[in-house]
Amino acid sequence: MPVVERNLLITNKVGLHARPARLLVQTAALFQSQILLQYGTQTVNAKSIVGVLRLGARCGSTIHVRAEGEDAEEAVRSIAELVQRNFDEAEEADRRQGESTTGVSSEAPA
Amino acid sequence: MTVGLVIVSHSARLAEGVVELAGQMAQGKVVIAPAGGTAEGGLGTSVDKILQALRQAASPEGVLVLLDLGSAGLAAEMALELFKQDHDCPVMISSAPLVEGAVVAAVEASIGSPLPAVAEAAMAATTLPKLPVAEGQATEETAPDDKPAGDRT
Repeated sequence: MPVVERNLLITNKVGLHARPARLLVQTAALFQSQILLQYGTQTVNAKSIVGVLRLGARCGSTIHVRAEGEDAEEAVRSIAELVQRNFDEAEEADRRQGESTTGVSSEAPA
Repeated sequence: MTVGLVIVSHSARLAEGVVELAGQMAQGKVVIAPAGGTAEGGLGTSVDKILQALRQAASPEGVLVLLDLGSAGLAAEMALELFKQDHDCPVMISSAPLVEGAVVAAVEASIGSPLPAVAEAAMAATTLPKLPVAEGQATEETAPDDKPAGDRT
C-alpha cells in the first residue's frame, strides 16, 4: 500500500476550528486511504471530526498528514490544497480581521 | 442516505437555532429536525412534536436524538415508543451535550457514517475543550473512540 506523508502549515486565521475541521474531515472521507493527522504529541484519524477538533491546531502551527492506501497520493494532495487555500475563507477572514492572508503555502515534504 | 438528527429542546427557538448551526456543518446532506417547546408554544417538551420530528428525520440509516436537558429524555422515549409502532428505523437517544453533540453528529452523518459512529462522535464531543489549550497539547489524553456510556436505543 502506498504511504504518503507531508507537513502542512496551517495559515488560516482560526486554525482547525469548527468549519475548517469540518471541511478537512469531509475531504478526507472522500478517500479510501487511512489518513492520520499528527500535531504535537497527538495523532488522530482525519476522518473523525472529534479527533480533528481535539487537535486544536492553530494558525501558524504545522500538522503532519500521513495517508496509507491506494488513493493516498490524491488524498494528501486534496487535503494539502484545502489547507493552502486557507479552507476557502481567506477573503472572509481578511474582511473580518482587516489583515491580509496571502494563502502562500509553506508545506514541506516530510 | 445519511443518519437523520432530531433536536429536542424545551425551547422552540433553541431547537431551531441548533438546527441552523448543525445544518451549516452538514451542508444539506443530513436531515435535522427540530422538536422544541410545547404544543401550545410554551417552554417544555411535546411528545407529539418529537414524534413528528422523528418521522421527518427517519432514514434507513437511523436517527440520533439529542436532548437539551435530561428531563426531555422521558418525552423522547415516549415519542420513540409511538414511532416504533409504524417505523422500523433504528433510533438512538444521546446523552451528548446539545450544541457540540449536534454539530459533531451533523459532520459525522454528512460523511455517511453509520448510526453507532454518529452517536459515538456526539458523545466524544463532551470531552472537547471550549477554550484553546496550550500549544500542541490537549487538556487531557482521551481516546476519541472511547465507547459512549450515555447512549441507549
